[in-house]
Amino acid sequence: MTTILIVDDSRVSRLLSRQFILALRPDWKIEEAATGEEALDKLDSIAPDLILLDVNMPGMGGMAAIEKLRAKRPAVNITLMTANVQDAIRNKAQALGVGFVEKPVTEERIQQIVTSVETA
Amino acid sequence: MFNLSELEHDALVELFNQGVGQAAAAMSQIVHEEVTMSVPAILFQTRAECAKALGNKDGRRICAITQHYEGAFNTEAILMFPEEKSLEIVRLMIGQTVSMDELSDMEQEAMSEIGNIILNSCMSTLANIAGKELQGSLPIYHVGTSDEILSHSGSQWDGLVLTLKIDFNIEKHQINGYVAFLLDLTALQDLRQYIDNYLARIGR
Repeated sequence: MTTILIVDDSRVSRLLSRQFILALRPDWKIEEAATGEEALDKLDSIAPDLILLDVNMPGMGGMAAIEKLRAKRPAVNITLMTANVQDAIRNKAQALGVGFVEKPVTEERIQQIVTSVETA
Repeated sequence: MFNLSELEHDALVELFNQGVGQAAAAMSQIVHEEVTMSVPAILFQTRAECAKALGNKDGRRICAITQHYEGAFNTEAILMFPEEKSLEIVRLMIGQTVSMDELSDMEQEAMSEIGNIILNSCMSTLANIAGKELQGSLPIYHVGTSDEILSHSGSQWDGLVLTLKIDFNIEKHQINGYVAFLLDLTALQDLRQYIDNYLARIGR
C-alpha cells in the first residue's frame, strides 16, 4: 500500500492534503506529523513512499529535517510543500534532490504529487 | 527624516505591487474567488496613527496575522480581516466537508496558515527580485482592535514607521481586509539600498 507522510504544523494544511490525496487515491494510507521531530519518530514504525514536508515549522524546520529523515530512510522521496516560495529555498531543494510544490494546497498540486509518486 | 526620490518611491510601489499581485493570486487560490487588491499606499506615520488608519471607525475587532522578516530589509508584515468574517474565510478555504464545530475549532490555525501563505507569497516575490533570502518568523494570530494589535507587534508606539498599506477585496463575499508592512526607521536605509539595487539592475 502506498503511504504518504504529511509533515506540517498547520492542521488545516494536513487536512486539505489528506482530503485531496484520498479523493484521488482512496486506498492510499496517510500519516501525519506536526513537527520534524514527530516525523522522525514516525519513521521508526512506517516506511512512507513520500514525505510531504513543510519548511517553516516550530522546532526543527523542514530544511533541517531533510538530512535527519534521510539518515533514517535513505531512499525516501521528499517533497517540500511550502508557502516560502523564495528562489533560495527552491535552489536548496534542488541541490538536496527534493521536490518543491507551492502552497496553498490545491487539487492540481496534489494531482502533480500523486503522479510523481506513481511514476517514481 | 527619510526621503525617497520620486523614482525610488515609484520603484517601491512597483516592487510591492509585484509582491501583492502574487499574494492576491495565492489568496484567490485559497478562497476560490477573484481577489482584487489596491495599489500600495506609502505613508510615514507613528504606530498610533497607523493603528487609527487601519482600524475601524467604530472600534470593531479585527483578526490579524503578523510575521516578522529579516534579511535584505526588516519589516513586520500584517494581514488583517474583520473578525466577523474570519470563519467565512476559513469555510471558503476548507469547503463544506467539515462541521461548523470543527471549523470553529480550526479557525485560529486556519487563519494563521492563510496569513502564512499570503504574507510569504508577497515577501518571497520581494526576496526573489532582490536575489536575496528573507527569513520569516512563524505567523502569530491576534484578535483585537487595531491599537491592541499594533501595540503587540511593534516597538515604540510613538516611533515613526513607514507603512505600505494595501486593501484587498473578495467582492462576491463582501470581505475587505488589509495587508500592511511596517518598517521602523532603522530599517529604512536597508530598504533604500534594496530599492537602489533594483533600480541599478533595471538600468535606471
